[in-house]
Amino acid sequence: MLYLDHAAATPTSKKALKAMEPYFADQFFNPSAPYISANHVRQDYEEAKDEIAHAIGAKGADLVMTSGATESINLAFNILEPDAEVLISAVEHKSVVEAAKKINCKTINVDKFGRVLIDDFKKKLSSKTQFVSVCLASGELGTIQPISEIAAIIKDEVLRRKLAGETTPLYFHCDASQGIGILEAKVGRLGVDLLTINSAKVYGPKGVGALYVGHNVKLKPMTVGGGQEMGLRSGTENVPGVIGFAAAIKDAEEHLNAERKRLEKLKTILKNELKDISGIMFLGNPKYQLANFVPISVPGVDAERIIFALENEEVYLSTGAACSASKGIKSATLTAIGLDDAAIAGSLRITMGKLNDEENIKKAGELIKSTITSEQSRN
Amino acid sequence: MKTVYVGMSGGVDSSVSAALLKDAGYKVVGVYMKNWSKNLPGMKCPWAEDLADAKRVAVKLGIDFKVFDFENDYKQKVVDYMLDEYKKGNTPNPDIMCNQEIKFKLFAETAFEDGADFIATGHYAKTENGELLRAKDENKDQTYFLYRVTADVLKRTIFPVGDMLKPDVKKLATKYGLSNAYKKESMGVCFVGEANMKDFLNEFIDIKPGVIIELETGKKLGFHDGAILYTIGQRHGLNVGSGLPYYVAKKDIEKNIVYVSKNLNTDNLWVTEIPLKDIFLRKKPSSKNILVRLRHRAALLPAKFDGEKIIFEKPVKRIAAGQSVVFYEDEVCLGGGIITE
Repeated sequence: MLYLDHAAATPTSKKALKAMEPYFADQFFNPSAPYISANHVRQDYEEAKDEIAHAIGAKGADLVMTSGATESINLAFNILEPDAEVLISAVEHKSVVEAAKKINCKTINVDKFGRVLIDDFKKKLSSKTQFVSVCLASGELGTIQPISEIAAIIKDEVLRRKLAGETTPLYFHCDASQGIGILEAKVGRLGVDLLTINSAKVYGPKGVGALYVGHNVKLKPMTVGGGQEMGLRSGTENVPGVIGFAAAIKDAEEHLNAERKRLEKLKTILKNELKDISGIMFLGNPKYQLANFVPISVPGVDAERIIFALENEEVYLSTGAACSASKGIKSATLTAIGLDDAAIAGSLRITMGKLNDEENIKKAGELIKSTITSEQSRN
Repeated sequence: MKTVYVGMSGGVDSSVSAALLKDAGYKVVGVYMKNWSKNLPGMKCPWAEDLADAKRVAVKLGIDFKVFDFENDYKQKVVDYMLDEYKKGNTPNPDIMCNQEIKFKLFAETAFEDGADFIATGHYAKTENGELLRAKDENKDQTYFLYRVTADVLKRTIFPVGDMLKPDVKKLATKYGLSNAYKKESMGVCFVGEANMKDFLNEFIDIKPGVIIELETGKKLGFHDGAILYTIGQRHGLNVGSGLPYYVAKKDIEKNIVYVSKNLNTDNLWVTEIPLKDIFLRKKPSSKNILVRLRHRAALLPAKFDGEKIIFEKPVKRIAAGQSVVFYEDEVCLGGGIITE
């Protein structure tokens, strides 16, 4: 198998699996139960949260554990009243777009690489804006966003409001589902109030995520009940999931720089293999792009056919989001960067990771190239 | 090189049909007909998966692939027809309507306009000079659903598996390397099926509950969800206690009453004559004595056709109004008609 869809899912690492294993049956206790064995589980759980928090430069108590990025994002947006003014970038994940739709939402334009235009952001940021949501990196292009630059502008606006005696709050949320484990993302340096992270993208189990909540943010729960996660997300804690997430993100943090360098090298190899495909465009910002992302477009080719043809060779890659030309759903991200219909229909997202090495990336590159070339000659 | 547009559902029959046509030297274009995409309570519409499966097969075969969006037409011509019939108390057959209006009309017209010389489907049926003939696989024969397809379209239609047995079709799928690509059987009216019909109707029609009355005694036995949901002869789904089973013997749609009986021999359940409407005669029978089929895969029964009704020598179990009786002479499907009250 040549797996090239790490942005969609990653295999749970052996370390994470091993760390989780005891908490399914042996250490199954409800962390809220009163006896000592349960207290031990509680301790392990809190330690795991600390480890996850550490990876983003926060404390365990700053995190609300959730069922994944989508829930984290929904919880973050839950702070808003329906008439609140919100700004999101044009390259956000569906869950941000849908959550923002419920509210009075405007879109910040991006350049042809999918990077937020700071001037457009400044223009759209008003004294009424209550919430800004920009991803750490686009899930379709891997384009890294100028988060700290945006944060600085937001901070200025917050201070201006304070001085003017204005009471409208302003929060900055960043969906870091893509980028965590590849890019250093410390909440302090980024300057965000809310940060969404996801276990399934960093070789942890699926169904686990977290929302970092800054101390100035008064979040409202969506799920009420026993008052777990400081009352922000009731329900018995997903102990094995959180333990697995911690093991996975810890491992990723420890090898962050080495892995990034390795992926950069693989990217060079892959791009070199693909560059002679007739009409190929490499998408995204070559300077500000996640090391594991190689989004491409070959206008005139039907990307879905390429995916189906390559699956016969056990090469797995995907189009950007859950979009497909034949289903009549167009990628908002690719539209936002100005691609025409043919370029969108011909776009593929290749995302590398631990399952790739120099040898199999070269092989994958050859197979992708020959498949696209043969599809081009079929017409 | 002649061009053929194959209706592909992602199922084995249409997949093998496309493969066979390609082998036979046609320029083959696979087409997925998007007829329905709405999810309903408890029913996830699998159209996106079906489309992907069909396209996967097309890629495997190296043929072109297109999507024809017939969703509005399907709603108007098939679903609305079906709902109207149910409202009248009839039990319509949407598959027959779908073949008549969508697959062998709209699809055919669209394909021919797009440059097709022929259309093809994975139906088990045969055709010669516009005539419709029973499939080789008697178990799979689908001419019951196709009797209203016009001769003009059939003249330009190919049924590649009509001359094959189902097990052989499956073997061919393996031979063509499609065994991983194609999905399980695609069936009838999209994803609804009989089991879900009640939920489906509930979504579109305001169905009111009413009483169940014993035919012979006039005794009130209980309540039903809505008379239009019941079919004459139906035995299950009546909440009227234990003992010998009750059968639906009569429906009064206006008063919303379902009459039931324990007597399987009641005249309401057996008939010797079936009056027909909307008769579609493909070919004149050579005599009054013909063979008829009262439902898909049912045995062929000898009967007489007098131009308006079907007459049996011995009584047959009553079939609900709205269903079709299809006529045959030897292998040839002569046409049929829709059962009226």
